[in-house]
Amino acid sequence: MTAQAHPDQRRLLRGISPAQPRLDHVAHLRAHGPIPSAIRAGQTDLLDHAEAVDLRGRGGAAFPLARKAKAVRAADGKALVVGNGSEGEPASRKDATLMLCAPHLVIDGLELAAVAVGAREARLVVGDDLARRSIAEAIAERERAQRPRVKITVVGVADRFVAGESSAVVRASSGQAPVPRFSLIRTAEGGVNGRPTLVSNVETLAQLAVLARAGVAGYRALGTHAEPGTGLMTVHRGAGAEVFEVPLGTPLTALLTRGALAGSVLVGGFHGTWLRPGTASRTVLSRAGLQEVGGTLGAGVIVALPASACPLVEAAPVVRMLAAASAGQCGPCVHGLRAISERVSALAEGVATAEDLRLLDRWATLVSGRGACGHPDGVVRFVSTLLASHPEEVAAHRNGPCGRRLLHLLPLGG
Amino acid sequence: MSTRIVVDWTRCDAHGLCAELLPEVVELDDWGYPVLADGGRVADDLRVHALHAVSVCPQLALVLKK
Repeated sequence: MTAQAHPDQRRLLRGISPAQPRLDHVAHLRAHGPIPSAIRAGQTDLLDHAEAVDLRGRGGAAFPLARKAKAVRAADGKALVVGNGSEGEPASRKDATLMLCAPHLVIDGLELAAVAVGAREARLVVGDDLARRSIAEAIAERERAQRPRVKITVVGVADRFVAGESSAVVRASSGQAPVPRFSLIRTAEGGVNGRPTLVSNVETLAQLAVLARAGVAGYRALGTHAEPGTGLMTVHRGAGAEVFEVPLGTPLTALLTRGALAGSVLVGGFHGTWLRPGTASRTVLSRAGLQEVGGTLGAGVIVALPASACPLVEAAPVVRMLAAASAGQCGPCVHGLRAISERVSALAEGVATAEDLRLLDRWATLVSGRGACGHPDGVVRFVSTLLASHPEEVAAHRNGPCGRRLLHLLPLGG
Repeated sequence: MSTRIVVDWTRCDAHGLCAELLPEVVELDDWGYPVLADGGRVADDLRVHALHAVSVCPQLALVLKK
């Protein structure tokens, strides 16, 4: 894993280089400068700025940060901010990379969000071990330099898939098992231990720290008019993953050559979308750009398979992993995903019947929207678009195995 | 004003009583778990049956939401 980016257009990863892979507190202040005093003191409302640049959640759901944060600010009770760095998606490395390289930017954002919603306390939920160490070290560095304005507690969770879901993060922060919960009460009003809680992805928080320094006009200098700023992308092409920071609206061809895009392309990760053949080379990296080709940006994961790989053979073990990753709480997810994964495996092995394909279709509709979290819906999106984007492959596998070996090009994590 | 049935999927254990008591709204899927018609909307004349279904669910997995 490396943290490359386009020079001059990096904000979150500014100042990171092979010679300086992690910015300590001194290097952080040198690269980013201080936070303007009007914002520090709360005289300027940073949430209005976040609204003006339409800062959206970068964990995958793309919910407007200001709307969530203002609901927390308006709710009764002692507010709390939770930074979500659990990154349960095995194909995503951007949150861990950010916390490894620029931990102080994440902590800046956490403090700024806490001040903005009137919280004195914050939690940072981290999955990756090295990232957790980097964050803990950064908190210690700051305590040596200045008295902390917000009390931050680091919460470790196993980087299990469903542990990254927002309500699971709330439970982990309440000292419970990190699995999704069912609730009719909004997290903003009754989250961690019943307190008004803002849960926000760590990249979103780091973006807030960039916005605090750049101001609305400065922040808008990169990206598109509708989607200003940059975004972190985890790119898989062959072995290993690389993390890039690009302005939103950057063409996918800036990260992957047309040759690399000749095979199957998955965007948005394992809850994401397989692009239809021929669309990858005209895909633009923004929410609008992905929507245009029937996809979602999600948490910014892009996987390009070489044309020599069989997408069904590569995807089958992922679907099995996703079925096994169910927290086991909701029946439709437990039974539905297991059944779906068995039929996808049969298809990949060339032994699926017409009835199996009919059932896959039926279960995809049946499982969606029937769980405490978005896991079943995400898996259905992965499977449905896999089949829809590869009609020739599906037809070929009806006549037996394709003969192509499993190359393990999709990361299973763990 | 419409009333809706909401399922707490983390509680539901596929006992299936809801489908017997409120077949107009609840069907069962391939594994015995409820499938709600029309987003779980309950017509006014079915409200009393919906309340009954909510109260007898052995897992207390149903909520009636306004």
